[in-house]
Amino acid sequence: MASAAASSSSSSLFSLSSSSSPAASSLSKTAPRVSFRRRPLRVSSSCVSTAERPPARAHILSTGSLYDVLGIQAGATCQEIKAAYRRLARVLHPDAAAASGDYHGTDFIRLHEAYATLSDPQKRADYDRALFTSRRRCVSPPFAVSMSDDVPTGGLTGFQSYTKRRWETDQCW
Amino acid sequence: MANPSYTVASDNETTADEKVSSPFPDLAIGIDIGTSQCSVAFWNGSRVELLRNTRNQQHMRSYVTFKDEIPASGVSNQLSQEHEMLSGAAIFNMKRLIGRVDTDPIVHASKNLPFLVQTLDIGVRPFIAALVGNVWRSTTPEEALAIFLVELRAMAEIQLKRPIRNVILTVPAAFSRFQLTRIERVCAMAGLHVLRLMPEPTAVALLYAQQQQQNVHDNMGRGNEKTALIFNMGAGYCDVAVTATAGGISQIKALAGITLGGEDLLSNTLLHLLPESRNFFCSGHGIHEIHIMGILRMATQDAINRLSFQNSVQIDIDLGNGVKICKVLERKEFEWVNLKVFEKCENLIKQCLHDAKVYVEDVNDVILVGGCSYIPRIRSLVTGICKRQEVYPGINPLEAAVCGAALEGAVASGISDPFGNLDLLTIQATPLGIGIRTEGDIFVPIILKGATIPARRELTFTTVHDNQTEALILVYEGEGRKVGKTHLIGHFKLIGIPSANKGVPEINICMDIDVSNVLRVLAGIKMPDVQWPVCPLMEVRMPTVDDGHGWCEEALNRTYGSKLDLVTLQKKTHM
Repeated sequence: MASAAASSSSSSLFSLSSSSSPAASSLSKTAPRVSFRRRPLRVSSSCVSTAERPPARAHILSTGSLYDVLGIQAGATCQEIKAAYRRLARVLHPDAAAASGDYHGTDFIRLHEAYATLSDPQKRADYDRALFTSRRRCVSPPFAVSMSDDVPTGGLTGFQSYTKRRWETDQCW
Repeated sequence: MANPSYTVASDNETTADEKVSSPFPDLAIGIDIGTSQCSVAFWNGSRVELLRNTRNQQHMRSYVTFKDEIPASGVSNQLSQEHEMLSGAAIFNMKRLIGRVDTDPIVHASKNLPFLVQTLDIGVRPFIAALVGNVWRSTTPEEALAIFLVELRAMAEIQLKRPIRNVILTVPAAFSRFQLTRIERVCAMAGLHVLRLMPEPTAVALLYAQQQQQNVHDNMGRGNEKTALIFNMGAGYCDVAVTATAGGISQIKALAGITLGGEDLLSNTLLHLLPESRNFFCSGHGIHEIHIMGILRMATQDAINRLSFQNSVQIDIDLGNGVKICKVLERKEFEWVNLKVFEKCENLIKQCLHDAKVYVEDVNDVILVGGCSYIPRIRSLVTGICKRQEVYPGINPLEAAVCGAALEGAVASGISDPFGNLDLLTIQATPLGIGIRTEGDIFVPIILKGATIPARRELTFTTVHDNQTEALILVYEGEGRKVGKTHLIGHFKLIGIPSANKGVPEINICMDIDVSNVLRVLAGIKMPDVQWPVCPLMEVRMPTVDDGHGWCEEALNRTYGSKLDLVTLQKKTHM
C-alpha cells in the first residue's frame, strides 16, 4: 500500500505537467527524437473494433478512480476485471497503440497499475476503503493522484517522450 | 554461398537483381540461436514455416570452424561438426560463453571443450581460440556468433528472395542486460536489426496463445483464461515461465531462468566416466588432448541421447595409448550423477510458480520444450511438480521457440491475417529486479522482479551526509537485500545537490523500461518547498558498464566508498 502511494506521488519530478510549473516543464523538455522505425509493432486492427478505440483512450486520460480506468463498475467481478484489462490492453499496449501515437506506454502502465490493484483482493479492499474515505472528504483519491486531471494529455514531459529502439544511434558499443 | 565476409555488414548487396515482389517485404524473421542448435522461421502468409539449409536440415548445429582463412559455420558447412571437433577448429557453445568474464564458473567449466578457453581469473574476457593448422587463432564468442548469423542471413535471403534486415531473436531468460547488449551487438555485426529479444519461454507462450485462440475463436477475451507453465531446457540454459492466455493475449505472470542445461548433464556424465578429465587440459592443449576430448564428448552425448529411450547403454571408447572406457551406463546412474541439476530445475519451477502466485492445480497446461525435454527424468520431475500425467501435446519441443519468434516477427511487421491468426499480443515481464545501491550496500529495487513491461516506477532517496553535493547512482540488476548477490549494470554521478542537512534534498530516481526492453534511469534533485528540480534531470541509458566485470565496481568502491551514498527517503504521505 505504501509503495503504491509512493509510486504515484503527486510531487513526482517526472510527472510535472505544464500546468503545475512552466519552468520545470521547459527544463525537462527534450528535443523531438528521430525514429528510425517506420512501422511500429501493432496488433492488427481486425480484432479491435474501431468504434472501441476513441472512448478507451478518452476515459483513461480523463478520469479518477481505478474502476474508471478499466471502464467497469465498482462492483465488478474478478472475471469482468480481467476481461476489461485484456480488452483495453489490446488498444493501449504500446505494441498495439504505436499506430495511434502512444509509443511510451503511459496509458498501458496506468491500465496495468489499475489492474494490478483491483485483481488482488487485498489491495482492492484497501483501495476501496481509501476511495470511499477520500470521496467523502471530497478530495481526489490518494492512489489515483497520477491519474488525475493534471496529467498532461499530450507532449509529455521528460522521459515520457521516448519512441522505439533507435537502431544505429542507439546501440551500446 | 553469398559473400562470406563477416565484418560489419552494411547493406544488402546480395539480392538486388533477384528482388521479386515479395508479399511481405519487411517481414521480420524469427531466429532461435541455441547453444547447440539453431533454426530460422518466418510467416509465409498463412502459417509459420521453418527454413532449411542446403543439406535439408531445419536444425543447424551452432558452431563455427576456422580453417583456410575463411570461417564457415554449421549453416553451410559440408563437413559434420563431429569431424571438425576433433581437430580443434570448431568453436561452439558460443551462447554459453557470450558476455561472461574469466572468473565465471561457466567459463571455467568450458575449459574442457575441445578448443582453447584460457582464463587469467582476473575478471576480463576469456581468451578463446580455434586451432587452425598449427596456430591458435583467437576469436570471441561474439565474433563466432556473428559469423554464424551472417551465414544464416545469407541462407534466408536466398530462400526468401529478398533482403533480410529485421529479426526477432529468442534469448534465455537468464541473460543479464549486459548479455542482451552483447547479443544486439552480434546482430549489428551481422547486419541485422533486432526488433525484439524474446525470452525463449515467452516465445513458446505466444505460440500457445495462438493455438488456444484457434481453438476457441468465438469467445474472445472473455472467461476462458488458460494458465500454462512452460519449461524450456536446452543445451545451455533452462527457463520457466507462467503465462495466462486468453483471446490471443499472452500475459507473462512470471519468468525465471538459470544457466543450466544439457551441457551440464554432459560434463557431469563425462566426469563420471573419466574422472581425470577434469584436469585434462592442464598439461596443454595439444591436438592429441583435443582429439580425446572430442571423442569423449561425442560418445557421452550419444549415450545420453540413447538413455532417453532405453534403460542402459554400453559405452566403448578407445582413447588411444591403451586408455579404454568400457562401461554399461544405467539410466539410474545417469540420474544420480546429475542429481543436483535436476534439483535446480525443480527449484526453478517451484520458484516461478510462487512468483506467479499460481497454484499447480490452476495450471491448465504444462508445456515442455527444448532439447532436454526428451530426458525421462526431466519429464517426470515437471509432471511431478505439476501433479499431472501428461504434458501439453500440441507443441514440437524443438520448434516451439522459433515458431513463437516468427509469429512475433509477423505481428511486429504489422502483418494481419484474415483468419485472425496474428491477432496476438505478448505482455512481457521482467525476470529480475532493477534498483540502486544505498547506504550499507543495501540493494533497493525500483523496478520489481516480475513487473509488467513497459514499466516505470520511481522512488525518492535522500543524502546521508550533511552538505553532500554529489551522489553516485549505482544501478544493479538481480535479487537479494544486499548488492553482493546482484550485478552492476551501470553508474552515473548526480552533481549539484544544494548544500543542506542530510535527509533534506529529495533525489528522485525513476526507472523506465520501454516496450522493447530498453532501460533508462532518470534522476532529478528537488528541494522541499520548491516545485521544480534544482538542475536538469539526468537521463542514462543502461547498461553503461561495458564489460560487466567486477573491476568497475571495485574501483568505484575504492575511490568513493560510501561518501556519495543515498538512503531511501521515508515519504510523508499527504492524506
